[in-house]
Amino acid sequence: MEIRPILSALMRSKVSMILIGLQVALTLAIVCNALFIIGERLDRMHRPSGMNEADTFWFGSNGFGANFDAIATQQADLAVLRSMPGVTAATSTNSVPMSGGGWGEGLSLQPGQKTSTAQTTFYIVGPQALEAYGFKLIAGRDFRPEEFTAIKFGDQPHPQSVIVSKALADKLFPDSSAIGKQVYSEDKPTTIVGVIERAQQPWMDSDSIEYSTLLPMYMPYGNSTRYLVHAEPGRRDEVMKAVEQKMIEANPSRIIGKVKSIADVRRDAYAEDRAMAIILGVVIIALLAITALGIVGMASFWVAQRTKQIGTRRALGATKFDILRYFQTENFIITTLGLIAGGVLAYGLSLWLMRQYQSPRLPWYYVPVGFIALWILGQLAVLGPALRASRVPPAVATRNV
Amino acid sequence: MFAYYLQLGLRSLKRNPILTALMVAGIALGIAASMTTLTVLHLMGADPIPWKSDKLHYVQLDNWSPDQPYSEDGRPPDQVTYQDAVALMKAARADKQAAMFKIVQPVQPENKELKPFSSLIRATGSDFFGMFEPKFKYGAAWNHDQDDSHARVVVLGDEINEKLFGGQDSTGRSVRLNGIDYRIVGVLDKWNLRSRYYDLTNGAFADPDEMFMPFTTAIDLKTRSSGNNSCWKSSANGWDAYLTSDCVWMQMWVQLDSPQKLAAYREFLDNYVNEQKKLGRFPRPLNNRLLDVNEWMRDQKVVTRDMEVQTGLAFAFLAVCLVNTIGLLLAKFTRKSGEIGLRRALGASRREVFTQFLVESGVVGLTGGVIGLVLTGLGLVAVRALYAQYKTVAHLDWTMVATTIALAIAAALLAGLYPTWRACRVQPAAQLKV
Amino acid sequence: MLTMTHLQKVYRTHLIETYALRDFSIRVNDGEFVAVTGPSGSGKTTFLNICGLLEEFTGGEYQLDGVNVRGLDDNARSRLRNEKIGFIFQSFNLIPDLNLFDNVDVPLRYRGFGAPERKQRIEEALARVGLASRMKHYPSELSGGQQQRVAIARALAGSPRLLLADEPTGNLDSLMARGVMELLEEINRQGTTIVMVTHDPELAARAQRNVHVIDGQVTDFDAEPSLRSANSGDAAVAAIA
Repeated sequence: MEIRPILSALMRSKVSMILIGLQVALTLAIVCNALFIIGERLDRMHRPSGMNEADTFWFGSNGFGANFDAIATQQADLAVLRSMPGVTAATSTNSVPMSGGGWGEGLSLQPGQKTSTAQTTFYIVGPQALEAYGFKLIAGRDFRPEEFTAIKFGDQPHPQSVIVSKALADKLFPDSSAIGKQVYSEDKPTTIVGVIERAQQPWMDSDSIEYSTLLPMYMPYGNSTRYLVHAEPGRRDEVMKAVEQKMIEANPSRIIGKVKSIADVRRDAYAEDRAMAIILGVVIIALLAITALGIVGMASFWVAQRTKQIGTRRALGATKFDILRYFQTENFIITTLGLIAGGVLAYGLSLWLMRQYQSPRLPWYYVPVGFIALWILGQLAVLGPALRASRVPPAVATRNV
Repeated sequence: MFAYYLQLGLRSLKRNPILTALMVAGIALGIAASMTTLTVLHLMGADPIPWKSDKLHYVQLDNWSPDQPYSEDGRPPDQVTYQDAVALMKAARADKQAAMFKIVQPVQPENKELKPFSSLIRATGSDFFGMFEPKFKYGAAWNHDQDDSHARVVVLGDEINEKLFGGQDSTGRSVRLNGIDYRIVGVLDKWNLRSRYYDLTNGAFADPDEMFMPFTTAIDLKTRSSGNNSCWKSSANGWDAYLTSDCVWMQMWVQLDSPQKLAAYREFLDNYVNEQKKLGRFPRPLNNRLLDVNEWMRDQKVVTRDMEVQTGLAFAFLAVCLVNTIGLLLAKFTRKSGEIGLRRALGASRREVFTQFLVESGVVGLTGGVIGLVLTGLGLVAVRALYAQYKTVAHLDWTMVATTIALAIAAALLAGLYPTWRACRVQPAAQLKV
Repeated sequence: MLTMTHLQKVYRTHLIETYALRDFSIRVNDGEFVAVTGPSGSGKTTFLNICGLLEEFTGGEYQLDGVNVRGLDDNARSRLRNEKIGFIFQSFNLIPDLNLFDNVDVPLRYRGFGAPERKQRIEEALARVGLASRMKHYPSELSGGQQQRVAIARALAGSPRLLLADEPTGNLDSLMARGVMELLEEINRQGTTIVMVTHDPELAARAQRNVHVIDGQVTDFDAEPSLRSANSGDAAVAAIA
């Protein structure tokens, strides 16, 4: 392979080489980092919430009127919901994972701790919570009916028992079972009676997103409350359509709103991440297309400029394949130089992103994979012009223009 | 001469449609990407109230736990306590002041055809309207006396007035919220807020407020905030204990009309906090802040980092497109060396040839810019589809249109500089050999 | 060395047939120095292209150094060209972005020689044309005569059996032209067969034998070219030796 003469010829007229090399370098730097971000976002979007998302929905009830008894309504509503056809479980609650809003609280191992041991969220739930959410109990037991109490919103909840997520249990009691142990919230003790496999907090960006706590209480928010309904597989939409009517029938002195499936809650929660991934994806494709077209354009131009030279080489004994290989090699060299610069740029860009936005470091394998991809892209792009070059007839050498 | 060059340029572009199409497409795509992201960025971060954004300040006091700061980077809480809001309102040391929080109330329309619905209400002081200057269609805001007497009055937003009263003048009539009748004292005209910048605690682009009432009234009715509520130690049970607690759930804005007033208010706040320290509150060191509108928007990252990354990316993309265009223009102009040699031999000066080809580049830029503008429009449609909450900021205004065209032409001219210079270095004689 | 019998080359466009060569026969022996002359449009360039395996022919036979050329595919012709023929072009056809060393190197690369052998051949070839000291220079730094000599070195480096020269002095002034011709004569004395195409009768005179081509056919004689018929579409009219 004639790398040295090709390289030395390129060095003589650096401009065109720089133009392609620069495009390749920028493309590599951007594509590597963009792909990494897309990967991160996709990972984020696929985080399991721990609850059933296919068959569940939730909605809010906002009562009015001076005599509205929120707690009695809550209990009556749950009975109505559970009696509806297609419903397997229903519970009252203040929040669900991925919804963006909820109750944040600190839990401590001892009373009087200056800073809490773990930051958790309180899911303040009625009976059938585990079935309604679809949480998987892996230790201990569900709440018993007598453990449920009722309080007015604004009063501090102090239940006797709570159920926690496994991650929280491991954080609080790493070396032993959490069942039966006591934890303190606002310096008041409560006992862990059950552990569920996984339950995310409502806040997507929480550092402690896997630490969740279920409290067995009826606690409406003034006259408002929310309900989570688990339907039979395939019947969720049917129940969603019927629920408002049913609730108004049961008690007309309220407004039913925000009937939303948990699947939609997830979709909205991750809408920005999905948008970012789509936008980055489009840019990556556009960049690769532009760079490829640029290579095709420049290579075609060079072939046209060097027709005489190609004819001469053929006259001197080069086969068509030799000519093809010449241009593919030339492109390979230019691409390689561009990629080396691009690799440096890619790491530089990654470092800058790390510093500006505290994003994680670009994993080492992105750049090498990007190298290979762009090598292939470059070789494919130059194939057309190179084939055309190989078809330049040797007789061109003797033409005198 | 310019018209002649324009003619030549257009003709030359037509003669090689594929190359021209590639160049124009490259510029159009690069411009569209940059302008789409730049438009959103520009509108997101734009000053919402430029004639007085430096006069409106957001009050932050650090009443947080002695053991743990509110935020790792030392910023004070983003809301204030009820006690402090009320104290500052009473002191009335700013030119205008308004404490506020948001509530949700069920609306029971007179018109029985309409189902009851929940409404987002801003509970605030009457100064709010003088500070943030929404226009009134009918009536006016309530006054300070009504604030003090927790009167049952409301100001309706334009949309809810449409819904309840068909857009008519409803001042003097009443609206029933949660069983209580409120008299309508004013109706706002359409308020084209891009972002609800006076309350960033639940997201800058969350749903807008539908009506307004005195916050004293909301407190009197023991209505809890529907916004964020954070406490570092729990309050005792009961409404009154909640009001005196160190939980933060209110926002506090003041208007200070001069730098001297600003300095004086800062001093007042420091004194206030020091007084409160003597009473055992504010265990942390003094950490008051009075950011103005733009500073506060930056602090709360209204322009998200995703948007910044996308904008940077778009401009990097434009750079690649430009390098691409340079290459294509180089290819095009190099092929023209015969023509250039001829023109020079016929008497064109180097500068004239240079201008001719620069104009040709400019024509490519203009075409790319126009197509890029159309693509930008499409891009903004896509942004609105992907980011439903950015409906208000994903629109082209005339500034952005002009910027698009200007950027496209500038980019093309920049890209054309080197190829044009290269083409003009040609010696006439060398090109004229038969 | 080479024999062409009743060679024919026809260009066909939609409606028109043009005979660039018709019934063209020629024989060149080993070691000869033959000049092929004729007015422009006579077909000498086509003859050169076919002789050098740069173009295919449509009729007749061509034997080069014992090899029957008809029916050889493109790759085989490239190989044959590379091994047996050295080219010298009117406009030198040096590659401007390569220095002299690399220019002479080009055909050797396609031959498959290893680096040491190539180096040796290049140095010898450049020495033979008197330009060994300027190996690292670029064509733009040389005069026309020097460039043509580099082209000759390139043609010689692969030890070809046949040297084909197309108006080798066409772009040179008379002083340089004389130098190049002397070089060619020297090379011929050392045993290389040379076929030179030219329209310059003075140059032609320095060759051993002249072959005259008119309208695609050979007229082989040493005298002045005869009158051409006014109507060049006719079949050849040629004086007979």
